[in-house]
Amino acid sequence: MPIHAPHSHMYDSVKLETAKAKLTHAGRKSLYAPLNLVAYIDMMTMLVIFLLMSFSATGEILFVQKNIVLPDAQNWTDLERAPVIGVSKDVVTLDGTQVASADELMKDSSTGDFKIAELHDKLVTLKNNYKLLHPGEDFNGIAIIQSDKNVEFKMLKKIMYSVAVAGYQNVNFAVTPKAKGGGPAAM
Amino acid sequence: MGVSVESGGKSGKKSVNADLNLVPYIDLLTCMVAFLLITAVWSQLARLEAHQKGQGQAGEETPPEKVVKLVVVVNGEGFNLVAGDDQQPIPKRGDQYDFEKLGDELKKFKDAHPDKSDVQVASEDTIKFETLVKTMDIALTSRFPDISLIDAGGAGI
Repeated sequence: MPIHAPHSHMYDSVKLETAKAKLTHAGRKSLYAPLNLVAYIDMMTMLVIFLLMSFSATGEILFVQKNIVLPDAQNWTDLERAPVIGVSKDVVTLDGTQVASADELMKDSSTGDFKIAELHDKLVTLKNNYKLLHPGEDFNGIAIIQSDKNVEFKMLKKIMYSVAVAGYQNVNFAVTPKAKGGGPAAM
Repeated sequence: MGVSVESGGKSGKKSVNADLNLVPYIDLLTCMVAFLLITAVWSQLARLEAHQKGQGQAGEETPPEKVVKLVVVVNGEGFNLVAGDDQQPIPKRGDQYDFEKLGDELKKFKDAHPDKSDVQVASEDTIKFETLVKTMDIALTSRFPDISLIDAGGAGI
């Protein structure tokens, strides 16, 4: 009896070579493993749509401050680049720098002068800088007051007076936009 | 975008399966997501416009004798709507300011004086900012776009 080299004996009865290769998985395995990308593309598309909806061309002008809760308003307009005066219950800031404290402002002025000297001087400097940097343009006189909703008018009027004396005639108040129905507005 | 169609088959027929090359599309989406995430504005804030007009400066185009000055005085008891020589107090409803009635009265005034666009909001010292913003918001809703916020002591009422 002849001696054969050992080999698989399965499907020996199948004579057709192609069918035998299929049955025994003798054909070469493909090196390409297809990834199912549909779910990934769906997720990316949803993400892009969501981010495009919340996109703002003006960028971030105001930053939410921890100790300032803004009031709501229905008749709002978009923010513009302008000096931002932050008014919390404790402190008044101009573009993040403290210019007065609430205790000073809540005191009745003995001279009757409402002007906050530091705030006024810094605003005048900002106005002069704007005029130097934009010689052909008119100064729009906009200042944004970002005040906490529980601050009393006694503080605000001194700030508004200082702002007006410094040459800013258009005072805007930062608010949280609210839709007519009462919910948050879609900007 | 490239489309590769498998050619040939066991029987020489062209396969009907077509694979889209999705790599450029995924590249584009990834770039857009990165750009939008960097430039995203998460805090949705807006502004309410007011003007620093002193007494008598509003409506300078019209002769002074024809101007009916409209002032909404906000005090501890409620509102006082002053139109020329007429005063109409709008007291608080419980602890709350009656913004609804103020809006109705302002709308009535606007209907009677369609050309009037300015209103002064005169506040006392103790009034909170939230109340003032709501009052100005009501005035804007009642079609008075030219709002100035002044001290009640300086309003001369």
